[in-house]
Amino acid sequence: MRWLAAFVALAAAAFFLGDYHNDVYRKMLLWVMLALGYNFLFGICGQIAFSHFAFYGIGAYSVVILLFQLNVPLPLAILLGVAVCVVVALAVAIPSTRLEGFYLALATLALAQLFVVVLNEGGAVTGGTGGIANYRLPPIFGFQLRGPWYTAVIVFVLLMTLWILIKLDRSWFGRACRAVRDNPEAAAAMGIDVARTKVIAFTVTSALAGVAGMTYAFVDNTVNPPIFGLDNAFLLLFMVIVGGSGRHAGAAIGAVLLFLLPFWLSPLVGHHHVLVFGVLMLAAILLQPKGLIGLWDRYSR
Amino acid sequence: MGPILEVRGLSKRFGGLTAVAGLDFEVRPGEILGMIGPNGAGKSTTFNLIAGTYAADGGEVTFGGEPLLGLAPHAIAARGVMRTFQHNRPFAGMSVIENVMVGAHTRFKTGLISVFTGNAAREEAEERKKAESLIEFVGLQGLRDADVTTLSFGQGRLLEIARALAGEPRLVLLDEPAAGLTPDELERIASVIRGIAARGIAVLLIEHDMHFLLPLAHRVVVLNFGAKIADGEPAAVRADPAVMDAYLGSHAAAR
Amino acid sequence: MRDFLELAVSATASGCVYGLIALAYLLMIRPTGIINFAVGEWAMVAAFGGYVFLTKYELHYLLGMGIVLAFMLVVGWVSERIAVRPLVEKGTAILAPILALLGVLVITREIISISFPPDPLPVPYPFELQHQKYFIIGVTAVVFLGFWAFFEKTLWGKSFEAVALNRRAAALMGINLSRVTAFSFAGGAAVAGLGGLLVSPNISAHYLMGVPLAIQGFTALVIGGVGRVEGALIGGLLLAFAEQLTIRYAPIPSGFAQGVPLLFLMIFLIVRPTGLLRARA
Repeated sequence: MRWLAAFVALAAAAFFLGDYHNDVYRKMLLWVMLALGYNFLFGICGQIAFSHFAFYGIGAYSVVILLFQLNVPLPLAILLGVAVCVVVALAVAIPSTRLEGFYLALATLALAQLFVVVLNEGGAVTGGTGGIANYRLPPIFGFQLRGPWYTAVIVFVLLMTLWILIKLDRSWFGRACRAVRDNPEAAAAMGIDVARTKVIAFTVTSALAGVAGMTYAFVDNTVNPPIFGLDNAFLLLFMVIVGGSGRHAGAAIGAVLLFLLPFWLSPLVGHHHVLVFGVLMLAAILLQPKGLIGLWDRYSR
Repeated sequence: MGPILEVRGLSKRFGGLTAVAGLDFEVRPGEILGMIGPNGAGKSTTFNLIAGTYAADGGEVTFGGEPLLGLAPHAIAARGVMRTFQHNRPFAGMSVIENVMVGAHTRFKTGLISVFTGNAAREEAEERKKAESLIEFVGLQGLRDADVTTLSFGQGRLLEIARALAGEPRLVLLDEPAAGLTPDELERIASVIRGIAARGIAVLLIEHDMHFLLPLAHRVVVLNFGAKIADGEPAAVRADPAVMDAYLGSHAAAR
Repeated sequence: MRDFLELAVSATASGCVYGLIALAYLLMIRPTGIINFAVGEWAMVAAFGGYVFLTKYELHYLLGMGIVLAFMLVVGWVSERIAVRPLVEKGTAILAPILALLGVLVITREIISISFPPDPLPVPYPFELQHQKYFIIGVTAVVFLGFWAFFEKTLWGKSFEAVALNRRAAALMGINLSRVTAFSFAGGAAVAGLGGLLVSPNISAHYLMGVPLAIQGFTALVIGGVGRVEGALIGGLLLAFAEQLTIRYAPIPSGFAQGVPLLFLMIFLIVRPTGLLRARA
């Protein structure tokens, strides 16, 4: 069926790309993974949060610390990593559900910044500002996953994430999330527990970000603080808005486009591509709130 | 048959203002009870107290033998009390049928895990069929997949009702269902409301339009300054001197 | 004791800067409900303006300050015109201008980053180092008194309050909503710019200074409450004292000091989002 075909196509591509392009491809896939989860929280459930990258980081650091400092076997490390993300997400989400709109966003922003501070000051545990490096993924069943084979793993995790999100989206839960997004008071009148819906959406998407983070940990074989900071969180928001919030395809398009744009633009604007992102984001909100996917819909009639 | 909703001594104050004072009334299954009164009489407040949007300062509300006061709005909906809003509140990002299916939220019993194992699919299909028949019942057939922002005001009103019915309630609270409707739409909505009562569902509605309400309601409760001043069949209430006094000068007395 | 007095003065000066940023947020939130996170970048722009006019061109301090503040008024007005007005007129949800302003935030930061060298740039003290803190406190006191008087005593101030309480009613009374909004953004930019200018001699003008200031200012606002002008200052002072006391006396590494405003923000948002002071009834 289609999922299998997608997996084969996306994974096989890795075998035809050289080392450098493989690296770019993997990073792009990871951004798509993050954007899909973020889109569910923001576009479908209507909650703005800046903590997505913090969970990406919690996942990454957790798995590395568990594997190499606590010598936990890989399957358990993965489970525990997910558990840590879930616990932190619940700890933030449950008290925050009474907060409206942007106040929740700010609480998550504070969380994200705090996370970076903790990483920087974490001394031997987190490796401080330099992070942790020089490790590699332990062999799985004696097979050392490297290069295009690891890319195939990333493709698998990406498709699994997408599957989970699509299933949620099309269920009563997805409808409840949309209702909470569109009109929380009416949603409550229909029997939806608004606070519980928000907490579940936040926790699930944060846990997925954590899983993405665990996958990331073995891409560069290094984890360090700056990646998990605020700039990337803004970029994720921009990707989802420019691509089209509320639609999985929109999130994917936005992620791919804004990820690849710096490569194409660097002859023109050097590393000031963030300026272009800001302009695109502003343009999207002012002119085409449905994003690129909205344009696509309009012109494909 | 005994009443399904019993309100006893209900009261609510906002600061120094008493909005509802010691209100008593009841609604029976299959009965259409109209609640009328001049502006500021406490009708909307009563509604919101029953629906759980406001916290009451005193009294009791019993639904199907169980107390309702103090429950959150979503818990009240889960017990079988659904409401419409005075100003249409559709879920703008969804189609008509999806809006109706949100109303059925409390009917979905399968948990989150079943979403992934495929057990939820059967329930989803069943609820979809029920939603489609509700759409027909209110007269919105053909608009099943329409974007709710394209609906006319009158169609939006019908959607509000379909959505409330999707929860298979035993009591519906209709907030000024007739306001702003054309005569055709008024006829349609009156017949929908009769249809609801015919299914054995209790209907409590707030209305200002006497022409619409009096032929429709089985009984009428009249509020003034937060207290009940009359309670009975529409014709009797119409002729009640206390009621005419309360409405002196308003359009109802003039008709 | 002398130690503590020094700390108190230093904390007061910091608190004043946070209070100014909080005031900037407040000026824009009250009539529109829009949280403009770009205030940090506005403070940064003013700091760079300080570099240009005071360090490079060596103008007299007050003249340079005046020019920079005038420039900030324009910046605020333009930001509102581009990112806020079209959306408000279209009738979008409040979220849209907030997000649009995030775009403005990023664009502003990048423009500065492109136009200036990457290293922190110096901005001169208005007087000697010793007195600079008193200058900050003094200027802040004047600004807050001014705004308090503006809202309490003048007709314009009252119409501003009217819009804050009920937009539709205010419009019906003939108050020009878009003009109030334009003024609130221009004023917010100038106040944020003042904050940036006052703090920049200590930390130098740097294109990354915006976001930390924005967070600290917002935390001050949440602590003090959006309802009253004084709340912004009180929130700022409380935050600054908490920060400085923690750094000086608490047995934790100094890097964690950055965490203090963040922790406060999270705690206050969760426990008491309306702030310490209540709005007037």
